[in-house]
Amino acid sequence: MYVWHFHCLFICCFNMLLVNLNWKDYGSAGRMDTNDSLRLASLWHSMHAISQQLSPTTGCNGIDLLRADTFDLHCFQSLTGTKFFVICEPSAPYMELLLKVIYELYTDYVLKNPFYEMEMPIRCELFDLNLSQVVQKDRVALLAR
Amino acid sequence: MQFFSGSAPPGRGAGGPGNNAHMHMLYIFNRAGVCLLYREWNRPLRTLDPQQDHKLMFGLLFSLRSFTAKIDPTTAEKGNLGVPLLPGQGCSFYSFKTNTYQLNFMETPSGIKLILLTHSRTGDQKESLKYIYNLYVEYVVKNPLYVPGTPIQCDLFTKNLDQYVRTLI
Repeated sequence: MYVWHFHCLFICCFNMLLVNLNWKDYGSAGRMDTNDSLRLASLWHSMHAISQQLSPTTGCNGIDLLRADTFDLHCFQSLTGTKFFVICEPSAPYMELLLKVIYELYTDYVLKNPFYEMEMPIRCELFDLNLSQVVQKDRVALLAR
Repeated sequence: MQFFSGSAPPGRGAGGPGNNAHMHMLYIFNRAGVCLLYREWNRPLRTLDPQQDHKLMFGLLFSLRSFTAKIDPTTAEKGNLGVPLLPGQGCSFYSFKTNTYQLNFMETPSGIKLILLTHSRTGDQKESLKYIYNLYVEYVVKNPLYVPGTPIQCDLFTKNLDQYVRTLI
């Protein structure tokens, strides 16, 4: 049984208008309050846009991977502009796959939920449940998708 | 070069002259945000005029550094967002990748920021940035005619830089 190698993992999804922010913390040192997470998300959104402007060639879609000393940040942008990013250990494998799986979960349990109001924080139990399952699952299961 | 610490990182073989498809641009900023050097080897798209471009680049790096210091999951207490960070303080990013380019970043303890934009699939450029910093120290800082804080105009530096970059493709 392969144990997923991350000691801390944040998952965040927010859209272009930044009204809807869902932040999930799977183990990190230090708490992040709502204001801080909103500030960071808006900062990320602007930097994603600026990085597109600074591209030396055409067709840039913004930052996909940010590598720092103690963590890596993987970002996935859907066609509608909703951004999902995950913070993990340096060189953790299969993060892009994880983001795509999370996007699938988002479309299934959040967007197809008739009681979910657009642009509001996500309060869908099934989404949270499946999200924790996916995050804790081992690598083999993710490979099988 | 015998006076550099360590040897030059191995290049990817002799690339043809002028074929800098992998290296796009290099920026060097000092602590105050003055752009000391901007070299471009391969830049098909220019969206802004040079001044705006430098300001935007510096602003992006400044914000990215605050962002990474704050979002770092390994330290329990972090400062407030927006407070200017000292060169060694907090977790710093060293590279980011988009689908069209990769930006490699290095900040020295004196506040000199080196930014190298390369092709998206190039590997880690930490050694290249260190070598370019060594070039800067030897040809610019030790040049008695150079005024710190002003744009670099040393021919030897740019010549050696171009020569080195050509070995990296």
